[in-house]
Parts: sequence; C-alpha cells; structure tokens
Amino acid sequence: MSMRQGNGSRISISRRDLIRVAGVGTTGALALDATRRGALAFAPAAQDASTITFWTPGGSPLYCEIMTEIAADYSEVNPNVTVNFQCGTDPDAFQERLLGSIAAGNPPDATVYWDTPVALGVRGAVMALDDMMATAEYAGVENWPAGVLASCQFGGQTWGLPVAAGTYGIWYNQELFESKGIPSDRASFPKTWDELRAMSKEFTRWEGDRLVSAGYVLPAPSGLAPTLPIWSALNGGQLYDAENQTYTIDAEPNVAMMDYFIAWLDEEYQGDFSRVQRSGAWGPYPSDEGQPPQFQAGNLAMIEWGSWGLGDFYAYGDPAFERWDVAPYPVGPDGETAVSGYWPNWLVIPEGSRQAEAAFGYLDYLSGVGVVKWFEVIPDLPTNAEVPETVPTLVAEKRGEEFAAEAIDFFRDQLDVVTPMWDSPVQSFALDQLTLALERILTKQGAPQEVLAETQQACQAELESVLSSQG
Amino acid sequence: MAIAIPTRQARTRTMPRLDREARAGLLFILPWLVFLVVFTTYPVIGTFTLSFTDYSVIEAPEWIGLDNYQRMFFQDSSFWTAVENSAFYAAVSVPLRLVLALLLALVLNLGVRGISVYRVIFYLPALVPPVAATIVFMLMFNLDTGPINVGLRALGLSPPDWLRDPVWAKPALIILGLWPLGIEVLVFLAGLKEIPQDLLDAAAVDGAGRWRRLVGITIPLLTPVILFNLVIGVIYSFQVFTPALIIGDTTGEPLESTLMYMVLIYRNAFRYFSMGYAAAQAMILFAAVAVLTLLIFRSARVWVHYEGGER
Repeated sequence: MSMRQGNGSRISISRRDLIRVAGVGTTGALALDATRRGALAFAPAAQDASTITFWTPGGSPLYCEIMTEIAADYSEVNPNVTVNFQCGTDPDAFQERLLGSIAAGNPPDATVYWDTPVALGVRGAVMALDDMMATAEYAGVENWPAGVLASCQFGGQTWGLPVAAGTYGIWYNQELFESKGIPSDRASFPKTWDELRAMSKEFTRWEGDRLVSAGYVLPAPSGLAPTLPIWSALNGGQLYDAENQTYTIDAEPNVAMMDYFIAWLDEEYQGDFSRVQRSGAWGPYPSDEGQPPQFQAGNLAMIEWGSWGLGDFYAYGDPAFERWDVAPYPVGPDGETAVSGYWPNWLVIPEGSRQAEAAFGYLDYLSGVGVVKWFEVIPDLPTNAEVPETVPTLVAEKRGEEFAAEAIDFFRDQLDVVTPMWDSPVQSFALDQLTLALERILTKQGAPQEVLAETQQACQAELESVLSSQG
Repeated sequence: MAIAIPTRQARTRTMPRLDREARAGLLFILPWLVFLVVFTTYPVIGTFTLSFTDYSVIEAPEWIGLDNYQRMFFQDSSFWTAVENSAFYAAVSVPLRLVLALLLALVLNLGVRGISVYRVIFYLPALVPPVAATIVFMLMFNLDTGPINVGLRALGLSPPDWLRDPVWAKPALIILGLWPLGIEVLVFLAGLKEIPQDLLDAAAVDGAGRWRRLVGITIPLLTPVILFNLVIGVIYSFQVFTPALIIGDTTGEPLESTLMYMVLIYRNAFRYFSMGYAAAQAMILFAAVAVLTLLIFRSARVWVHYEGGER
C-alpha cells in the first residue's frame, strides 16, 4: 500500500505498519476513554446533590403525564430538589430492570412498585423506612390504615409506603336487577354466598353450550388468585399467617370454599368452567382474544372489582347501561364478617439509593399531596389519612357528584375491613402456585383437598427456604 | 523430473512470513475474540459458578453445592413439565420448519416473474417483532371469530379452543413459530443456487423426472444446508420464550401446557429471586443442547454429502 505525500512522492506502508498504527490508535482511544470515565467517577457530586431519580414500572400516557406534573409541582415547592421522573415502558420487565440496577449499584432513588415490598425487603433490596417515617409530615405510621400498611411490613420493619390502594367490592348492574324485579339498592344486596348464588341463577341463561348471560361468574384463575385471600377470609379462613410465617392453604375452611365453588359451578354453569370461559370475557376487561367485557356489555349482573373500576368502567367504549352500584362482599357459610381486599401502588427506596433522605421527602409529599392530583385523573384510592377526601371526576361527570361521593366513600370504608394480603416474602411464587391450583380445581383436574395440599407444601417449602437463607 | 526441495534459507525466509501472517490474522480477529470471551465465555463460566450458589441478585452468592441440581431433578415438578413441553415443541416444530422452509425455497427457486417480490414477502414475517406477532396470532386463534377457526368451520371441522385447551395450546405455539420461516428459506435458497445446473440438466436428459431429480440430486447436495438449519433450529426451538410468555404468562396457562423451559428459567431468576437456581437450569439447557448438537453432527457422517465426496 502506498500514500502520496504533499510533495507528490509516494511512501510505502506495509501491512505490519498499518496494524501497528491501528493497534496503537485503538489502545490510545481506550486509555483516553478510561481516563475520562475515571475522572467522571471522581467528579464532585455537587451537581447531582439536588436531583433524585424516580421510576414507575409503566403506566398509561395519562398516568405518566400526571406523574411528571406532580414531580414538577414538588420542585416548585422544593427548589433545591429536582425530581428526574422516568415512566417505565414495560411493566412485565420492570423487576429485571430494578433488580439489575440494584445489583449494579445504580438504582433509582425511589420507585413505584406494583408488587409487595415485603418480598424486596426480606432480600435486602429496599431500605427500611421506619426512621424516616418517624419524622415525616404525611407518611408517619399513624396515617396509614393498619391493614394496608401491613402489606409493607416484615420482621418488625416497614419496607414501603402504600400510597394508593384500590379496595374491592361487588359491582352490580342496577338496571339488570330492576328488569328482573330485584331491588337494586345496596342495602338489599345479598349478604351471604347462598343468597348471592340464589340470585345469580336469575340472570344465567345458556344457548346450547354457550353462556349468553350470567349472574355472578367466578373470575379466571389468574384473576381469582390475587383475591383468593378475600374469599378465604369471607369463609372464616386464611391463606397465609404472616405473624407465624406459615401458609394455611389446605386448611378446612379453604377446602370447603373450593368445594362450594365446584358445587356452584355444577349447579349453575353446567359443571364446565372451560365452557364458561369460552363463552365470553366474564371479567371487567377484554379477553386476550379481543372479546369485550361482559359486565359493561350488560350480560353479567355482578362482578368482583376494585375501585380503579371507577375509571376503567368507562374505558372500553360506552357501557350498555348507566346505573351501577357497589356492595360489600357476602359472607361464606363458615364466615362471620364481611371483609374486603386491596391492591396498592407501593413506594419504595431501593438499597443503594444515593439520595435516600431527599427521595423520602418526595415520597412523603407524594403520599399526602401529590396523590390528590393523581386521584383526580386516575382513581387509585389514596390511603393516607392526611389526604383530603375528593371525588373521582369521571364518575362525577357521568353519575353526578352525590353518587360519586357515595361510591368513593364506600371504597374508602373498605380500607378499614381489609383482610391481610400481599404480605408474604414469597408472594409471587405463591400467586403462581395458587393460579395453577385454581386451574386444576375449577377444570376438575384434581380434587380440592389434594390440590390445595400440594400447593400448601410447595408454598411452605419455598417460604422456609427463603427465610432460612436470610438467617 | 526435478523436485524443488526448500533449502534451509528458503525455509527460514518462509517461516517468519507465516508467523507474520498468523499474527496479522489474530490481530484482525481480536475484536471478535474479545467479544466472544467477554459476552459469551465469561457469562457461561459465571453462570456455571452461580449454579452452585444461592443467589438472589441483590445479595452476594452463597455456596450451596449441588442443592440447586438436587432440587431441580428431585423436587421441582415444574422442571419436568417444562422439559416435556420444550422437548415436544422441538420435536414437532423443527422437522415442520425444515420441510416447510425447503418447500418454500423450492418454490421461490423457480424462475417465475416477480419472484424477487415473493422472496421479500416470505421474509417479512421474520422482521415482525415477536410480541406483535404473538398478539396478532392470539386474535387469529379466537374460538369464534379468529380466521383459523372460521376456516376450520368452513371445512366442516370442529375447531378447538386453541389457547384455553391444554391439548391445543402447544400446537398453537408451534403454528405461531412456523410463521417467521424467512431465514431458513433464505439459507435453503442460497444452497439451491449452489447446485450445479449441469447436473440437473444431465439427469433430465437421462430421463429423470422432477421427483427423481429432487430426491436423487437436489436434496443430497442440499444436506449440508439442511444440517445447518437443523442445528440452528434445534438450538432456537429450546429457547422459545416470548410467545410462550405472552400466551401462558409465567404459569404456563392453561395448566402449565405452555410452560417452556426458558420461561421457567426467567420466572425463577426474576420473579422468584432465585438466580442461582435459574443458573443451574440454564446449565442443564446448555448441556442438553450441546449433547443434541453433537449427536446431530455425529449422525451427519451418515446422511450429509459434501461436494467432492468429503464429509
């Protein structure tokens, strides 16, 4: 190879020379880059001291927009703190992202978390917040409903804040009730499982092997598993005893509960759960195959749903009816009192956060102030006692202020009767095991006693394994 | 006849030149070697080491010896379910993919007008993101309105509930996996182009029909390419993840029928915080695929024909 010099003469460059030059150049570039990175690592942190990073696992564009506004509002009242908000784009992959960032020593300073902080706390992935809560303006222990805060507590420490917790109730189509001559006021709603089951038959209609309308349909296993603690408690049972760190999945009330569900299935739904599922989307959301939600379509009289339905009810086109209401869960044959459940948005501070105190300041603000703006747009029920009671605007527009206030008051009242949930260090494992157990039981692939016993064994073994590895 | 015997001087002049060329070659492949070591070899060794630990990602790994392997083989029923599902998927989907890809390649190899457009069309599915493809196929598998079942009803058949019936969920995954055949088709096409036309013409002149030419000339000469697609197909079939996760979630709904091995590894690593156990499962997958690949290469001595008679 040859090159022409400025004076027109040529010089020869051998392959060896070329490789030498390339090698030296590459080495030099790598060395310079390493120096630059090293310099940055030792750069004064003053420029980052007032910036905290806050993540969410995901969220609708509206959710991300409102979170961005809340972050900006906080910076206005706290000019020395800038919240660098990052709205996640893939909730399913959030766990990987969060764990990876913690392991790499580069976690966000705080984050919304859509699963129990207990599982993170017991593994040392998040910081205990008790000391910071003691001096907080809004996020003190006394300002959270005990039953909901329990979802963040393990080993005598608090690992997160349940900033918003949708509570559950039984939604029902008042117009459908009235068309059957059934009183549609909340006070007349069934108080026991037997009453619910008897009323459900009034609405159930088959055309051949296709279910075209129904009263109350058990959710699909993946939807029922998260709320199974509620149904267990309604029947006088419990799935997980956090105080004694013991699973009680195959306890007698739970076996009785599943036997009851099977009997109901046999009596009203031709004993074929798969046939029911094939007939339509018997939940509040469209199915994976695009079937519309039967409750909003006016074909399902009653449904188990959370307070976030105050927004989602209107999210899939115009519902086929206007008037609906919500009622407490009925009590099972072996139960005594009505309970409810909840599903929070949790706030946590990952281990390794560089601005933990500043981040907690933001979480405190979010718990007492920011959540108000959040709730105005997305009806995730604020749980903090310091939050002024407001009504969800969408329901107020659709049904009037008075009804909206009544509905949200109902869900707020449920916070006082929630059953323990989301408090296991092996929550995800147990949820998967329960989903599989429900599949097997409801499709009659196994008897309730036997299936629940296997699930109990698996969950307890996993729990003991995790607890023993933590010492 | 004079035979040139290299003198000592000639050999001395030749060897430094060979050394220089060898060094130059090494330097040129150095970036790839670094990439291989950093992003393949090191992670494999790291995974092997982690498989003997209790590791949650958050805390430091704790050595537990063979506990993870013992748990996997003797205590975890989901492991065997996933192995069975993945083996079924591989056993059915790999031969199907090979046959369909070959048929498509043979068709595309015809010299009809617009064939380049058809090649693009058949390759396009390989470019569609797997999440989008899976969601579309889930709609296509809809019991009532999905075009697949509409077609089956039109033929007088009783269509299955693809995604809710544990018997049909795996076939649904396999059908989904058959859609992006573009890469295998292109590889087969390249192989078909290498077959000397003279051989085919000579066979035609000798009276061999299309089928005889296909079976006697084309396929034997294509066996190296078939071997390549077979090995790649086996490796990728055991790594099916995205469609299985979207259709069956981490529980492998319905009834663990779509619980594939990679989904099992993923849920142990990131959902159950058991990275050490997941690493052990990954090592078993690595070993199984390596053994299968070796067996395929061993068998290739019998059925793969290279040009020039070498194997």
